[in-house]
Amino acid sequence: MKTRYFVGLLAMLLVGLTLSQQGPFQQRVQQAINSGGSKFAETMKQDRDQALCSQYRDKLPPEEVGAFLERQRALIKYPADGKLMGDWKQGEALFTNPRKGNCYACHTGDPKEAGAGRMGPGLVGYGQRGTSEAVVKYTYDKIYNAWASMPCSLMYRAGHHGILTPEETAHVTAFLLDPASPVNAKR
Amino acid sequence: MGRFWRLVGAAVLALFSLFVLAQEEDDPVKEAEKQKKQLLEQSGGILPSDLYVEQGEQLFKAKRGPKQASLEACDFGRGPGKLEGVVGRLPRYFFDTRRVEDLDSRIRTCMIRLQGFQPQEIKRSEVVAIAFYLASLSHEQPVTVRPLMPQEKKLYELGERLFYLRAGPRDMGCATCHVTYVGKRAGVLPYSDILKDKRAASHWPAFRYSNDQAWTMADRIRACYSNLSMPAPDFYSEPIIALTLFMNVQANGARMDLPGFIR
Repeated sequence: MKTRYFVGLLAMLLVGLTLSQQGPFQQRVQQAINSGGSKFAETMKQDRDQALCSQYRDKLPPEEVGAFLERQRALIKYPADGKLMGDWKQGEALFTNPRKGNCYACHTGDPKEAGAGRMGPGLVGYGQRGTSEAVVKYTYDKIYNAWASMPCSLMYRAGHHGILTPEETAHVTAFLLDPASPVNAKR
Repeated sequence: MGRFWRLVGAAVLALFSLFVLAQEEDDPVKEAEKQKKQLLEQSGGILPSDLYVEQGEQLFKAKRGPKQASLEACDFGRGPGKLEGVVGRLPRYFFDTRRVEDLDSRIRTCMIRLQGFQPQEIKRSEVVAIAFYLASLSHEQPVTVRPLMPQEKKLYELGERLFYLRAGPRDMGCATCHVTYVGKRAGVLPYSDILKDKRAASHWPAFRYSNDQAWTMADRIRACYSNLSMPAPDFYSEPIIALTLFMNVQANGARMDLPGFIR
């Protein structure tokens, strides 16, 4: 009987220890980040879903996915005039600009662009999907907040972070979908 | 029929050679070797990194600072003045500062403690040159970084956490490119495979021929953060040392190529 108590007590102690360990390590991480300077500490602050993606190393457990997608969908904002497809020429500049979309880092687009990356799927001929309302909205949403359809995807949430405004997102959408855009040039 | 198969054969060969050519163009190691050869031919056998090494040696041996001392008595982990192979053994815990230090921060420590410099007086360019000199004495030595001390183990864990931490306006962290999407490329550059390719961390400090700059691992890490639109951690700060420790452990056993010569 006594040994049982002892074992139980030991188990409780161990549980207590492991639970209390989590806190100090997190504190230690924060302390280290702070030592990198105030601007670095500021940029390393995570929102809830960045923290989840880091914790699970981009592979969310199935039970987290539903709520994650819902939270991300709620972040999408649309242009005041409701038009999700803007001017493809402005879209091209935004798509190319490294400080804005920076899309060529990962995607092909205009097939003439030689330095396009291969991190994401190629987008040459993306417009063959047509310009139905569903396709336009899917494309807009993907550009505005990629995590609303693919949790923890590499693609950053350009709209959510303000890298692209809703109007600018509509321009990039047009660059991909407008039949006149070089992305969709007949070859 | 015979002619048809000859044609097919020729086509297959042509395709194959195209594939091989394309592969070679993509391999950054081969490209760097080519550039190095060209540079050596143009300069008559001197690489820019040799000049940094030379400058670093002079700085290391000169009596400087308020204490008018050289850095020759600096202990990089193998004892005072023992310099061979030290780059492959850092970061490690030092009893005198009671901190885990990497190459850069240890050089800084010795400039403060031995030469009497104030921290704000220490020039980054001097630390880099001295790092290049020490690197030249670690060429072809193995990487042996094993976290054994509790402080090293803790910092390794911390480095791992930071490596996988996604944040900032581009929702990224080190692992996003160097683990999850390894093998792909952004623009024209393929990503090094930090976890599996031991060459990745074993060629720092390095000379970058594409922009004519001498970089230590700290510069590399800071540039990564800048590429992600994130303000970089300060030089000699803990995040840099922790990340360096995490990456150097992955390169354990690699023979160092120093100073590195990379794009």
